[in-house]
Amino acid sequence: MIEVLAILFLAPIFSSIPIAIAWGIEPRPRWAEKLSYLSVFGLFLSLLASLYLLIYLGELSPEAKPIKYTIEWIPALNINFVFIFDYLSRIMGVLTALIAFLIGVYGLEYMRNDYRLGWYWFFFNLFTASMLLTVYSDNMLLLFIGWEGLGLASWGLIGHWFRDDDELSYVGNVGRKIWKLNMFWTPSFAGWRAISTIRIGDMPMFFAIAAFFVLTGTLNISEIDWHGLEGKVGTVGIVILITAFSMGLFAKSAQLPFSDWLMTAMTGPTTVSALLHSATMVAAGTYIFMRLSWYIEPWKFHGHGYEYVYILVLFLGLASALYGALVAAGCLERKVLLAASTMSSLGLMFASTATCYWVGKIGILVGFWYLVTHAFAKATLFLVAGHLIHETHDRFCVGDFEVAKHLKLAFIATVAATLSLSGIPPLTAYWVKSGMDGVMHALEHELGYLPLVLLILTSMVYSGFLAKFLSLNFIKGKHVHIHPHGGKLMEISYTAMFLMLFLLLAIYITSYEKPFKEFHHEGFLPSSIAVGILVLAAYIFALYKPQIKSKVGEFLGDRMYLPFLNDLIVAKFGWVLSTLSDYGNRFIDFMCHKAVPKLFEIYSNGTRMIQSGNINTYIKIAVAFVFIVVLIAAGW
Amino acid sequence: MLELAILIILTIAAALSYWDRRFSLALSLLAIFAASVILPLAPLLTLVAFLGIIFLLVIKNNQIAGVDYVMVAFMLVVTVLAFVVKDLALLLTLFVAASVPTYLLVMIGDKLNIDIGIKYVTFMVLATILFIIGAALTYYGYEERSPLYIAGFLILLTGLCLEVGIAPVHEWVPDVFASADPVPVSIIASLAKFVPFVVAYKIFLVTANPLTAQLLFVVAIVSAISMFVGNIAALTSYEPSRILAYSTVANMGYILAAFSAIMSKELIYFALAGVLLQLFVNSFGKIGFFASIKGGGTSSLYSWILGVSFIGIPPLMGFWSKFFIIYALVFSNYVWLAIILILNSAISVPYYVRLSRILGTGWRRNIANTTALISAAAMLITVIPPTWFVDLVTMARW
Repeated sequence: MIEVLAILFLAPIFSSIPIAIAWGIEPRPRWAEKLSYLSVFGLFLSLLASLYLLIYLGELSPEAKPIKYTIEWIPALNINFVFIFDYLSRIMGVLTALIAFLIGVYGLEYMRNDYRLGWYWFFFNLFTASMLLTVYSDNMLLLFIGWEGLGLASWGLIGHWFRDDDELSYVGNVGRKIWKLNMFWTPSFAGWRAISTIRIGDMPMFFAIAAFFVLTGTLNISEIDWHGLEGKVGTVGIVILITAFSMGLFAKSAQLPFSDWLMTAMTGPTTVSALLHSATMVAAGTYIFMRLSWYIEPWKFHGHGYEYVYILVLFLGLASALYGALVAAGCLERKVLLAASTMSSLGLMFASTATCYWVGKIGILVGFWYLVTHAFAKATLFLVAGHLIHETHDRFCVGDFEVAKHLKLAFIATVAATLSLSGIPPLTAYWVKSGMDGVMHALEHELGYLPLVLLILTSMVYSGFLAKFLSLNFIKGKHVHIHPHGGKLMEISYTAMFLMLFLLLAIYITSYEKPFKEFHHEGFLPSSIAVGILVLAAYIFALYKPQIKSKVGEFLGDRMYLPFLNDLIVAKFGWVLSTLSDYGNRFIDFMCHKAVPKLFEIYSNGTRMIQSGNINTYIKIAVAFVFIVVLIAAGW
Repeated sequence: MLELAILIILTIAAALSYWDRRFSLALSLLAIFAASVILPLAPLLTLVAFLGIIFLLVIKNNQIAGVDYVMVAFMLVVTVLAFVVKDLALLLTLFVAASVPTYLLVMIGDKLNIDIGIKYVTFMVLATILFIIGAALTYYGYEERSPLYIAGFLILLTGLCLEVGIAPVHEWVPDVFASADPVPVSIIASLAKFVPFVVAYKIFLVTANPLTAQLLFVVAIVSAISMFVGNIAALTSYEPSRILAYSTVANMGYILAAFSAIMSKELIYFALAGVLLQLFVNSFGKIGFFASIKGGGTSSLYSWILGVSFIGIPPLMGFWSKFFIIYALVFSNYVWLAIILILNSAISVPYYVRLSRILGTGWRRNIANTTALISAAAMLITVIPPTWFVDLVTMARW
């Protein structure tokens, strides 16, 4: 087992070290470019290891008992390297490794002429390894190591083109300014935005982990007595603890109000965006929430504290989903549109998972399978977007039918991915979305129709902007000149990626295991079919009329001015702190250099002024002192 | 008997000085070395007196040449005796006897300095009267713990303050130090300081009663005032002899602070060791610095040793003296005073540095510089941690 784990986590990292060293020795070594293949080979080994864990570790079912593997770390404190292999982690691990590998292959061509391959591959593989560590960890401290590895690697990759010299890597319209805010972002700034936003979530998360340890004596998610914890800290305590922990998840998964870093993260290479948006990083937040819910099992004891938290997550998820969908609908940049759509999907994952408090494990499974479906579809779309940017030298949605003719595979992949992801019957996401409709509908008794309405609304907008993406890039967009580059490897990898969607569809339709039989059941309900038709209608409408120019669209495209929160309001907190500390410094300087020396000088001169040389004065002082002394004695 | 023999030798020396000063010098030296066997601490006192006599050679053609050596030797004998005697009348006699020679010494120099003599003598007379009255009242009233005891204690304290120059009645110190010749001033600043403290201590100890503990609070306050006045006033002074004057005011404050701890039986020897060692630091430091002034500067090494010792950096003598005082204060519940003392040591750093820089202009071969060299060397004797000094203090016949 330990050999498999070593290959799983270390192969990507070690295989990327040679190229990193080569780039460290020389700025742009021609001889070392082939080392990229070694890095991808490391990802391949990692994929094999994850497949081994999927296939050879017994029955794969939501009800199976998790298998754990422990390596001692600090046994005295009951903190160990604990790896867990359950339904979630075994599938998620393969998903991560597979997508990372496919994107790695794509990257071999896409990044061929990059000036910083050592940096790129090292962080790309570190990214994958960190995600795998996060996926398989049961111990929260170990998980947190992977978690922070993700943060570090995302900073490295988003700001990969740190010279900010290529406008093609920017986000936003260069030169555009609203009030005091520049509405465009450079790679170096975007990298900083990502890591600083994530850290805001990570700090409360870290304290929550410490609190879990102090309160329960263990850090293993599967072993903590979550029910007993509520008895220990009470309703308010649970709300504070779980919310603090979830802050890390919300920030990483770009939920409101932490979402804006994700939009500007598009300054990184497209491969990074694809990986970041499908199976790593942002998925980590939702995945950990699923893992947590899986072992809290809140549906079993209905704790009040947990109820508040799950309501919060449900509505935060739905709100983020709708926000993301609307922003994507108003957005004209290829990758930013997809980024906003990811945020929307993540919101749906959070929301579906949160329903587990009322509907049980099926809520988590719906969220999880939506994650899987979304990962392949979104990775496909990103890889296509990257190819389009390469061919058209434009990061905005442009292209007419000429493009579709030239890039047939890209066109087919986009059609397949958008249709599959929208939830149009009977394609892949339809079944999961039906499951989602079902769990939201089940909340009617507790929370009314609001969740369901929000979900349907989001689904329609979602489908609309996917069709818009297709239409504006391949059918009705501006005519554009194409620069053919070859692109065989890129095509192979996104073809493989969208074919995975059909594999998934086959599983959904043919399997009779949990949760797929629930999906079937929901999928054949008239209400689900009705929603499917609504979604289809939205898709067709947007395909026909992809762009409606209006103030509203501009407002949505400006992300409802949320960047102001990030770049002005929060930044002002820092400004206030630094101003305060500046005043503090000045005060200290004033005290040390002006006030205290001046006081000493005044006092000193005063003391020395007595020294007039006149003995009369001296005698008077002495006699006065004697009288004072006598008075003191008399008073005693 | 030895004491009597020494006094006879000194009398003869004074008489012979009319014939030839060298007889008086030789006999005075003989007398101070003889006196060094009287008690274990005496050799160090002898060193102070020896430095005084050597330094007097710089102004060997002064107005009372010949007699001046005898006077210093006489002061030494009186100082040594003050440690030994227990009788009040004798103690007060010694107090006067140690003070009077300085009345004459203060006026001598390259030219006669009557003005400053008058200023000094006026203060000293006032101090002596208050001291004696205070002592008498203290003795009279301590058994009944009457108000007279309190008055006596406080008047005695005032007399002590005037005598050694503790703020707020330190006014004579800067004037005398700045105007008189550095040679006699160095003697006033060193050898003359021992007897008042020793006599006052003995009187306080014999008359100690439950009221004393409360009165020691006044002592603590006065000492704190003196530290602040001395150190802060010195900060803006640039003339070396003035800086030294305020440094004396501060140092007397440190010494008086140690008196706050004398009621504690366990700490008494630490307090006393602190008092005496600080007196020695002050003596060697003042003689060394005044010698540097008189000699027109000295080697920067010596001036820095003297300055750093005053600041209180280990392993120099000034560190250990403050250490003993602070130790005694902390463990007798005068932590605040210990903190004030430490603060004041910090405040004093700039002006001692300034002094060391002004006076460290280079070595010259003359008697004054030799005196400075010996003084600086004396600061180094505590390189051996001075538990031995505490032992010496313990062995003295108190």
